[in-house]
Amino acid sequence: MRDDATLARLLREIAAGDQSALRVLYDLTAPKLFGIVLRIQRDRSLAEDVLQDVFLKVWQAAGSYVPENGRPLPWLCAIARNRAIDGVRRKSEVQGPVREDGEDWLEQLADPRSGEGALLDRDALRTCLGRLDAVQAECVMLAYCEGWSREELARRHDKPVNTIKTWLHRTLASLKGCLEGAR
Amino acid sequence: MSGGPFHSDSEFRAAEFVLGTLPVDERAAMAAELGRDPVAMARVRDWERRLAPLSLAVPDENPPPRLWSAIQQALPGPSALTHPANDNRIAGLAAQVRRWRTAAAGTGLIAAGLALFLALGPRPSEPDARGRYVAVVTSGGDLPALIVSVDTASGTAQVRPVAAKAPDGRSLELWYIGADKSPKTLGLIGSGATRISLPPGTGAGDGLIAVSVEPQGGSPTGQPTGQVVYTGKLIRD
Repeated sequence: MRDDATLARLLREIAAGDQSALRVLYDLTAPKLFGIVLRIQRDRSLAEDVLQDVFLKVWQAAGSYVPENGRPLPWLCAIARNRAIDGVRRKSEVQGPVREDGEDWLEQLADPRSGEGALLDRDALRTCLGRLDAVQAECVMLAYCEGWSREELARRHDKPVNTIKTWLHRTLASLKGCLEGAR
Repeated sequence: MSGGPFHSDSEFRAAEFVLGTLPVDERAAMAAELGRDPVAMARVRDWERRLAPLSLAVPDENPPPRLWSAIQQALPGPSALTHPANDNRIAGLAAQVRRWRTAAAGTGLIAAGLALFLALGPRPSEPDARGRYVAVVTSGGDLPALIVSVDTASGTAQVRPVAAKAPDGRSLELWYIGADKSPKTLGLIGSGATRISLPPGTGAGDGLIAVSVEPQGGSPTGQPTGQVVYTGKLIRD
C-alpha cells in the first residue's frame, strides 16, 4: 500500500541509491502520477515521456524529501504536475486536444473512492470550492487539473486575459480565506 | 499567515505558480526565486498543500509496462548514485540540518573528534559591541579548536584555529547559516588565523556556524556536501 510510512521509507532508500526501491515506488505510484500527467499532457506518448522524466527526477531528488514539508504522495504529485505544466507552458510539448468527456473535478473531489488520507483537507477544499462563483472555481480546477493557461481560459469564456487573471486572483484569495477559516 | 486577501504580488505569483497559469517567463523566474527565497518557497508549499486533494482525486491511469524499462535504462550510472543531486535546496537544507543534529548527537561527532560550545560571558569591552558574535569550536572538550568571531558591522569574520585537524585528505569548511537558511561558505579552516570578508547576505548576525568535512580544497558545489561535524548558534559578544 502507498501509505506515508512506506513511501517515506522508499524515498530514503532511493536517496541512498537503491534502484529496487525506485521500482517499488514506481509500482505503487506510477498509476496515480500518470493519471495526473495525462490530464495535463493529453498526448499519451508525450505523457509517457513526462512520466519517465518524473521518475528520473525522483531518483535525483529523493534525498531532498523531508516529512516536515508534507506527506510523500502529494510531494510526488507536485513533481509530476510541475513537470507536466513546464512542458505544456513552454510549448516545447504540444498539449494534445481537450478531452471530449470533460471531467467534473468538484464531483471527483466528492467521490469517496478518490483521494487518499487527509479526508478533512479534501472535504474542506470541496466545501470551499463549492462556495465560490462556479465559473471562476471551474477556471481554477481546469488550470490545476488539466493545465489550462490563462489564454485558453480567456478563449473558453470569451474574456480578455486580464479578466481571467483577475478571476484567478480573486478566486485564489477567497479560497485561501475559506480554507484557513476552516482549519 | 493570515487569511483573506493576499498581501502581495508575490503571493499571487506563488499561487499561480502552483496553479500552473503563470506565463512561461514568469514561471521560470519564480522557479529560480524558489531556490533562494524561503518565504516564496513556503508560500508555494502552502498552495501545494491547499490544492493537493485535487491532485489526489485524479483517477489513476496505468502506464504501459515498457515504461519502467525505459526509466531503468535512463538512470545514471553508479558513479552518480552516491550523490543524488539536491534539487530542492531548501528542503535539502532542512534535511541536512537534521542530519547535522543527529551527527552531533551521535557517533559522527565522536568520529570527527570535534565538539562545539558557545562562548558565554563577556569579552573585553569594545567601543561598539553591536553586531559582534562569537562561537567556539572545541576538540574533544577542553581545548578550543576554533574560535569564530563575526563582526556584522564591518562584514568580517575572524577565524582562529587552535587545534582543528581535518581528517587526512580532507578539508574542514566553515559555514554561516543566517535567517535565510541558506549555508554560505566562510572558507576553509587553515592552520593560521584568518580574517575573512563575510559573503553578502550575512548582515543580520544571529545565525548558525557549521563546520563540515569536505573534499580537499572545499565543497565542490558551494553547499555543504560532507558530514557536518557540528553546528552552533552564534551568540552576541
